Parts: sequence; structure tokens; C-alpha cells
Amino acid sequence: MMLRDVKSKTMLALAALVFAFGMQVLANAQDGKAKTLETGTFHGKVHSTSGRATIYQEEKGNLVLRLTNFKTSNGPDVHVILIAVKDADDDANFLKSGVERVELGSLKGNEGDQNYAIPNGTDLSKFQTVSIYCERFNANFGAAPLEKF
Amino acid sequence: MDSHIRSWFSRRKWILVAVGLPLLIGAWWAFRPEKLWINQKVNEPAPFASSTDPQPLYTGRLEGKAHQTSGRATIYKTAHGKEYLRLTDFSTSNGPDVHVLLARSDDENLKQEIVKGQVDSVELGLLRGNQGDQNYDLPASVDLQKYDAAVIYCERFHAVFGIARLEQF
Repeated sequence: MMLRDVKSKTMLALAALVFAFGMQVLANAQDGKAKTLETGTFHGKVHSTSGRATIYQEEKGNLVLRLTNFKTSNGPDVHVILIAVKDADDDANFLKSGVERVELGSLKGNEGDQNYAIPNGTDLSKFQTVSIYCERFNANFGAAPLEKF
Repeated sequence: MDSHIRSWFSRRKWILVAVGLPLLIGAWWAFRPEKLWINQKVNEPAPFASSTDPQPLYTGRLEGKAHQTSGRATIYKTAHGKEYLRLTDFSTSNGPDVHVLLARSDDENLKQEIVKGQVDSVELGLLRGNQGDQNYDLPASVDLQKYDAAVIYCERFHAVFGIARLEQF
């Protein structure tokens, strides 16, 4: 009888320990800490553009570009791209000279906070500037040079 | 004769319509002029939930003045409402009596390397180290709209080591 009591108490203690450990792991997983890697502010080019661009790394390792306080003019066929330059200026042909770029997708809205997934393996030390780019007219609506956060 | 001219006119009119209408539609498709007035608003949440973590409010890069200074200055707000300034990747030269201040980025006194007048500022304390990450608590109720610059300042020689213009994060 005594022995069984001790056994069950040990089992109970073990179960509690496992439970506590499990909760800890779960809590860590749900922590969802995204690292802020780089940030910069937009300066308007062809169209006045303002706001902030920030690149986060989520826990899984994937990169996300987030635009906040963002505002630009609406337009046709506008895209978000990363370009392999330090900054982009008001050159209407700014991509014609063979500047490398990474396409992040069509601009979701010309106002407001929005996220864009960055393809895995993008070299951020090379692609240093975000551009709001009108594909149809090869126009740079605005650019945000990124710097280490 | 009269009717001949009229029929010629109407034929011409139809050609104009047949050519002009597609041109107009093409031009509209290319330029989408109505987008000049129509906004497309979005409001996506941050890609992660971290409401308990301190949130960055303002940030800026430090630029060297009297001495070479680099790094980032960021003002965070904790979940409890406390605000603090955090310096990261920070490097400046060591010196005597160096302080961390919040000041106004449009302050004329800060445009020079050596300050001659009185700087309107909020004292955050002595610089703890000339290299490395460090935090400085902000006094309660600092107007961050007004004091929008972090300054590394040598009190003894009135020298501005470096300044960071803080912009909304």
C-alpha cells in the first residue's frame, strides 16, 4: 500500500515536470520573436511617397518586408521590388541600366501597413533599397534605402 | 451633291469612332487616370504577435560631428508604458563628461560641432560606454514630437560628438 502511494506520487511529480517543461517549450514557440534586421524611410521620386520600410526575420528564418505609415500615389501596375543599389533617384530609366532586382509582388495598397514575403536566399547585403516601381512606365514612385536596425 | 457630302461626313464620323474609341480605351487602360482620385487602403497586422515586447516608436542613425560617431538610436515603449532610448551598433570616441541628451533636430545650436548658445534638451544621463548596446530611461512625459533628436554631447567642451534625427518607426 505504502509502496504504491510513493510510486503514484513519483509518477505525479514526473507528470508535473513533463507538463511544466512542455509548457515552457510551447511558450517559447509562441513567443514568435521576429528580429528586426533593417529599416529605412521612403523619399518620394516621380510621385510623392512616404513611410517606413522594415525587414523582419521571423522565427522560421523567412524574411518579411513591412511598410508602415506608408503613402504613395495610386497607379497602374505598381510593384514592390528590392534593387541592388545603395539608393535610387529620380531617373525615369533607373532600371534600364541592368540593375538587378528582386520582385516582391504587386503593391497591395497605396496607403497603409502591408507585408511582403522576401524570397529565401535573398542577399540583403546586396539588395539594399526598396523601390515602389511602376512596371508599365518604368518609373520609380519612391525608394527607401535600408540600413541596419 | 448636298446629300453626298453629308453621307461622306457620316462615313468619316464612323471611321473616327471606330478608330478613336479603341484608342481612348487603350489610353485609359494604360494610364488609369481615375486612380489619381481613388485610394486603395490596406491595414495588415505585423507579421508576428509580440504585443508584450517593447515596441520601437522612433529610430534614426547617428552621424558624427566633432568626433566620429555611428550606430542607431531607437526609442522603445514597454508594455507598461515606460519609454527608453536604446543605442545599438554604437561607437563613438571616449571623452570626459559625455552625456546622452534628447534635443530638437531643428536647434541651430546643434548645427555646429561646438555649441555656443543654450541647447533646449532633456538629459538622459552620462554615457555609459563609448561602444556597445545600451539603454537610457526617458523621464515620464517627454514630448517626443518636440525632442526628435538623440545627441551624444560632451558637457565640458560643449562638443556635439554625434546626433541622430529620430523618425517615426
